Amino acid sequence: MVKIVLTPEWFIGKDIMIEVFSFLVLIAFVILAYRYYKISNRRRIFYLGVGFGLIALAQLATILTKMVLYYDIGPSEQIGQAIITSNLASSVDFFYYTGFFFHRFLTLLGFYMIYRLPRDRKSIGDYMAVLYFIIISSLLSREIFYIFHLTALFILVLIVEKYAWIYKENNFFNTKILMVAFGLLALSQLIFVLSDVDILFAVANTVELISYSIFLALIIRIWKYGKKKKPYGDNIRYAGNSPK
Amino acid sequence: MEIISDMLAIVQSKNGTIKPTHLMYKANLSHSQMKLYLDELIARSLIKKDDIKTGTMITITSNGREFLFKYNQMREFEKTFGL
Repeated sequence: MVKIVLTPEWFIGKDIMIEVFSFLVLIAFVILAYRYYKISNRRRIFYLGVGFGLIALAQLATILTKMVLYYDIGPSEQIGQAIITSNLASSVDFFYYTGFFFHRFLTLLGFYMIYRLPRDRKSIGDYMAVLYFIIISSLLSREIFYIFHLTALFILVLIVEKYAWIYKENNFFNTKILMVAFGLLALSQLIFVLSDVDILFAVANTVELISYSIFLALIIRIWKYGKKKKPYGDNIRYAGNSPK
Repeated sequence: MEIISDMLAIVQSKNGTIKPTHLMYKANLSHSQMKLYLDELIARSLIKKDDIKTGTMITITSNGREFLFKYNQMREFEKTFGL
């Protein structure tokens, strides 16, 4: 007996809406990162975009899989219903396993990429070790669903800690927003661990929605900033601007 | 890149038009540096030179404004993520 989907029946459809919203926010980050990479040619921006892109793909994988589970007609509907109503299935198509596996794998990989970015380079061995860890977590989560959420929580706590350090250094409000958004995402993973209780699954999804809404607000802030008139730009060569 | 964006920001802050000497002082550049960057900016169609009665004026183009807009966003993005 394998646990596949924990969505309570009354929450079906709403979870997909939240995932679609998250997907769109993540895609917006990817587009921004790509635009800025084209201007600056800085690899870190590119890799940040790839990190968000991987999480976006993960969301897409889960959206497509759930859509088939929830709404597809025919044998898959029966499988879907069995999963939805009882949360349990003795045998499920390869498709569902693959879909959810990619969701877990790409999410963890994306979070890890975002975590790794502003740090110094490490050896290929370090990356391979983490990749192995992520694959094992993704595979084991098929049997024990909360391993994925615990792993995601672990990486997200590292991300929050990293941005807390960056915020300490730059005291920049946007970084604080970013920290809060990732913090809420971490909280949602913690709640997901306990999501055997129906209501907690909905609460975790809602916290995730709030988190992605904050990400969206951050995108809008960055977008609007370009329009702001800065008298002398960041120009520290200008006599009126003293270096910070 | 930073110097170019700073020069554009200075031109924009002066309602889009400035005298070359003023730009040179405000950007704190030497004459040779100024010439080098101006040529680069003109080649990229980010600014244009206009000869008027009182002398030469430098004007930011729509390309220049667009570039500055994206550049400011990029800086904000980088700063946010500590990149």
